Amino acid sequence: MDWFLILKSLLVLGGLGLTFAVILLIAYLKLTVKVDEREAQIRSVLPGANCGACGYPGCDGYAAAIVAGKAPLNACSVGGPAVAEKIGQIMGEEVTASQPQVAVLICRGGKEQAPNRFEYRGAEDCRQAALLLGGPKACIYGCVGLGHCVKVCPVNAIKMGENRLPVIDEKTCIGCGKCVKECPKGTLRLISRSKLVYLACVSRDRGKAVKDVCSVGCIACGLCVKVCPVGALKMENNLPVMDFSKCIDCGICVHKCPTKSFIDRAPGRPKASINPRCNGCGECIKVCQFKAIEGEPGKQHRVIPEKCIGCGQCVLVCPVKAIDLVGALGHSMKTV
Amino acid sequence: MSQMNPAKIFLAAFLVNNIILMRFIGLCPFFGVSTSLNTSAGMSAAVLFVMLLAAWVSWILYHTLLVPLGLIFLRTAVFILVIAALVQFVEMFLKRYIRNLYSAMGIYLPLITTNCAILGVTFLNIDYRFNILQATIFALGTACGFALAIILFAAIRERLEDAPISPAFKGYPIAFIGAALVSLAFMGFIALFGIS
Amino acid sequence: MSNKKPSRLAYLTSGIVKENPTLILMIGLCPTLATTVSARDGLGMGLAASFVLIGSNVVVSAVRKLVPDSVRIPIFIIIISTFVTIVDYLMQAYQPGLYRVLGVFVPLIVVNCIILGRAEAFAYKHGIFDSLLDGLGKSIGFTLVLFIMGTIREIVGNGTFFGQAVTPAWYRSAPMLFAIFPPGAFFLIGLLKALVNKTKLGGNK
Repeated sequence: MDWFLILKSLLVLGGLGLTFAVILLIAYLKLTVKVDEREAQIRSVLPGANCGACGYPGCDGYAAAIVAGKAPLNACSVGGPAVAEKIGQIMGEEVTASQPQVAVLICRGGKEQAPNRFEYRGAEDCRQAALLLGGPKACIYGCVGLGHCVKVCPVNAIKMGENRLPVIDEKTCIGCGKCVKECPKGTLRLISRSKLVYLACVSRDRGKAVKDVCSVGCIACGLCVKVCPVGALKMENNLPVMDFSKCIDCGICVHKCPTKSFIDRAPGRPKASINPRCNGCGECIKVCQFKAIEGEPGKQHRVIPEKCIGCGQCVLVCPVKAIDLVGALGHSMKTV
Repeated sequence: MSQMNPAKIFLAAFLVNNIILMRFIGLCPFFGVSTSLNTSAGMSAAVLFVMLLAAWVSWILYHTLLVPLGLIFLRTAVFILVIAALVQFVEMFLKRYIRNLYSAMGIYLPLITTNCAILGVTFLNIDYRFNILQATIFALGTACGFALAIILFAAIRERLEDAPISPAFKGYPIAFIGAALVSLAFMGFIALFGIS
Repeated sequence: MSNKKPSRLAYLTSGIVKENPTLILMIGLCPTLATTVSARDGLGMGLAASFVLIGSNVVVSAVRKLVPDSVRIPIFIIIISTFVTIVDYLMQAYQPGLYRVLGVFVPLIVVNCIILGRAEAFAYKHGIFDSLLDGLGKSIGFTLVLFIMGTIREIVGNGTFFGQAVTPAWYRSAPMLFAIFPPGAFFLIGLLKALVNKTKLGGNK
């Protein structure tokens, strides 16, 4: 037993360990960066998804920007009003929450509706395919369907559907907008979660040119503009542009569109129902665009449930408040 | 090896005996970090930094402390201690004084502590009986070889992301086979010096 | 034992197939590719690493209550490097041929992701006997893969098994050298991993 060797090893290794520990301790005391404790507090209330929707490099970047006074307090669309309020409390300021958003696909042209014009063999990526003559799809504006959005979604909220169109899980989607930026065709868009009706087409062609390549593409007929009760639609570049501040999500355009190019996100729609207060004036029959109300003048009118789409226009015009919208619990509409 | 001139040491470490593709040292970060070019570049920078410093400190400690005192058997423990302490220190130093470098490669620093490549270089410096200058060049060449391999491979892997590959081969298997092909290419460099 | 605590046996068996460190967890790749040029080398490396893994798991588990959380990594590293130094010198003394072949990979066992990983993920949080079983299971899994790879590479690339000829002379005079060179190692583990993926995709997932 070479005790001297053991002693030497102990001393050297122990000495080295001690030396390193001391050096590191000194470094820790001298070199640690002073961090504003509010930054750490804000960081801890942020969701931590690091999606960049706020416009800053990750949650760390956003917290730092807030403390530096450079960032708005409600920029986190993922955390929504709850997080904005907490940030407001930490910073000691009032906050107005930003609207939570969700990503939607503005194209209905899948495998069956919008066929390909050539067989594409190459990298399975929309951005690469789009470089080749605008992509394999006959409609050069529409969704390519190779799933680039699926790959870039930070929370895996998008899956490729059977119909060669991506399907977005609205519960999982955090509204960060990454897919919107990455889509080469611009067929993904962020809308407010409370918005129910939107046009699902980006084709800037009209009429036959659209019909030849897609059975559900907007042919720019302008019917929706005419039937909208609040004038929220306006034709621009062969596409109806929706003024979201005017639109009441009534759903009339959805049903009147000949190519079914609109999408209604509502999980269910109520139906109109006429109660005994009805005086038979017939105003409701005049305003209903779907001939869903029948009745003799002066007698109790009645709604035909199969034809009623729940747009609520009749409710607005009834002078005696005899019409209610019933059913579809949990679905909100701006009219009522 | 200790008779070789600096240029030969560098080229041997850089190409012929590329640390990842020929020696198989440093594979875990190679497959973990090489999924994107940005992370690969950051990792390479961190490796270069730490490898040089570790090579120097470990060489000095070995020749001035362990050898004279007859404690060569402590080298495993001492080298790994040095690397662990060094990485901690470098992280703190960068965070305080060179902020933008820290934000570029700071997150890779803790990963480097268990990087076989750093420890491998410290041991090889001893085995090849290098003096301090040769050890420096060897560390530099190795770090550059690491960078070359990982960046090349990242470029390939980014392409592999979108390629149509059968499900069983997706991910690691096709990455390994890709590495096999790159390694095969690097084997061509053996003809440069005829050493193995 | 399997009646009292069914999960205990699982610690052992999971390391062999379900959580095989090399093929499922994808850690400890460096020695797997570098030291499997022959079956004997692969087996030797596996046994050396197993010694360190089991030893460090047991010791880490034994001292886990004494080690504060903030300094646990350096402590693990010291414990592991002690065992590595032991196996280093044991091998130099009793298996010098193997030591020459394995070269720098013997001291590199200290940074083998498997060993530090198990110390951190398991031994620090479980009892001594469980840590022993876990170490044993992972060791068997790791050594098994090393042995299989070494065997395949030796037979295909050299025509021998443990130095004994197992292929006809015409093959041994011009074997598929690709297998014993670095590209062959990458290729083989790629195929093995694809095989693992195939079985996971086809059958039980």
